[in-house]
Amino acid sequence: MMDHCFVLAKDSFAEFFESLSKLGRVYAPVKVSDQSYSFRQVESHEQIAFEALRTILPPKKYFYPTQETILRYNDVQIEEHKPEIDFQILFGVHPCDLAGLGIMDTIFTAGPADSHYLNRRQSSLIVGLSCMPDKHCFCQSMGTDCPESGYDLFLTDIGDDYLLEVRTAAGVKAVDPIMPLLRAAGQDDESRYKAFWSNRAQAFTNGFKPDNLRSVMAMEWDNKIWDEMADRCLSCGNCTPVCPTCYCFDLVDIASLNGTSGERRREWDSCQFVGFAQVAADYNFRPGPVDRLKFWYRHKLHGFDDPFGFQTCVGCGRCTVSCPAGIDDIVSVVQALQATNQAKTKHDAN
Amino acid sequence: MTTTTEQKTLPCIAVESLTGCAGELLVILDNLEQLLPFVRIVSFPFAQSKNECGPVDITFVEGSVSQPHDIEKLKRIRSNSRWLIAIGNCAVWGCVQAGACSRCHVEDMLHAVYGDESPIKALPARPLSDFVHVDAMLSGCPINATQFLSVTASLLKDHLPYITHKPVCLECKLRENPCVLIEKNLPCLGPVTAAGCGALCPSLGAACYGCWGPCQSPQMAAMATILQEKGYQLDEVLSRLQTFGAPDTLFARMKPDAEVA
Repeated sequence: MMDHCFVLAKDSFAEFFESLSKLGRVYAPVKVSDQSYSFRQVESHEQIAFEALRTILPPKKYFYPTQETILRYNDVQIEEHKPEIDFQILFGVHPCDLAGLGIMDTIFTAGPADSHYLNRRQSSLIVGLSCMPDKHCFCQSMGTDCPESGYDLFLTDIGDDYLLEVRTAAGVKAVDPIMPLLRAAGQDDESRYKAFWSNRAQAFTNGFKPDNLRSVMAMEWDNKIWDEMADRCLSCGNCTPVCPTCYCFDLVDIASLNGTSGERRREWDSCQFVGFAQVAADYNFRPGPVDRLKFWYRHKLHGFDDPFGFQTCVGCGRCTVSCPAGIDDIVSVVQALQATNQAKTKHDAN
Repeated sequence: MTTTTEQKTLPCIAVESLTGCAGELLVILDNLEQLLPFVRIVSFPFAQSKNECGPVDITFVEGSVSQPHDIEKLKRIRSNSRWLIAIGNCAVWGCVQAGACSRCHVEDMLHAVYGDESPIKALPARPLSDFVHVDAMLSGCPINATQFLSVTASLLKDHLPYITHKPVCLECKLRENPCVLIEKNLPCLGPVTAAGCGALCPSLGAACYGCWGPCQSPQMAAMATILQEKGYQLDEVLSRLQTFGAPDTLFARMKPDAEVA
């Protein structure tokens, strides 16, 4: 599908934002510390941190909240909890996060579809924004560096203007009130657009050759670097909430003191916690940090051996910057695994 | 308080204390109104003057075992209670009186505080589960009221309660706090400390100091390595990790390395 392309002068961004905010609450990256950004509700365009590359949590939190009530029960019935969902606008979603949402869509819409996720997704407008990579970005290696879908509108920074791509019917509706601010993209605008994406493709300093990644992940299951990393692993689980595609949750029933009613809540969980794979009779499928770390890496870079056996890493670099132990430097790990002539196991090394 | 017939059919609970700061008792007192319609409080010496010592459905015990009479009292409580629940870090891990005080000999401390003729007989502080079977352990310093009420609700239905043993880092990330361990190089113990507080300290920009005791399977050796790399001396790191009563067994894996370092 061809996107409709328009030019929005940066001077007109305030009016563009005003128009968006009439549709619903706008969430955009906001600076929250020296090094960190977070998607938060913004009332004015001046609050938006346009320079933000990665937020602490990815935008999945707006479709799959960190904690939510699934059902309520009492002594006579169980009732599915239907959350109130207001229309929301996510502004400033970069290509890696769009790819992440695409993966989450696949997972949450596979039958039985998750209605909470779907309803939130359907009452959202996603406005993408171009970015330039920093030293941790490796979306190019994962093939998620160009926005392909998952957005309604996408803004590419072409100097004094944005090139505005309108992808969906919802996007058309959203730009309709501001059509007077826009002009159709001309040849010069298209040249600036192509120059931006060409320069961006050259700007990556981090990455690896992705061709044989799945095979290498399978071959190097016993590589000694897993043990070396696991010796440093805190099992803090920080790598999973920050991942745009980690979707595991825990379900907890919370009883009321009256003994007849209560609710079931789900909350983000992490495969890095020892209790995650603990089952009856105190058996644990992944008892040690090394088992859990490898499991996560495999899901991200190889995929599970199931119908969804695709890689789920989008190269955003969040795990790399969120790991207190510095062991989620995915690019270095992949490079080490791809290298030949290395001692494969601790045993070989001795 | 007069006891009505209706009250007598309600489940009986007791709230007892050994050696602690009474923080847990204050939390329960604060939430007593929510409990009262559903239970009869037969014993709560901190809050009421008339206490019974008969059989009890649920006894919550705060404080560590730190004196000989604590042991006798605990055994009596155990034999009277269907459910015995340890509440607060003192009862679950032994807290500061077990962790921080383990660096000194109990006799020396006793002498320093009470002189030659001490009226007190002190023991090295230990958690309840070293002496009796404990049905569930709810840590905290003090305990979290929501968790306490939820635990009580489960017990009233005769269910073993769900109590999270995941690390503080989870609660911290779910609040989307900037990581103080990474960004400020603070000696945050969130990765090895049990959640339940809602990541209170890191949410205010301070390091977690581990007051809820260890999470499930804490990676103490890795935690020590990472703090040492940030410039903290090993003895300080160990002291921080052990202050709130984390038992020696959790450090078994790191002790040899520590000696090398």
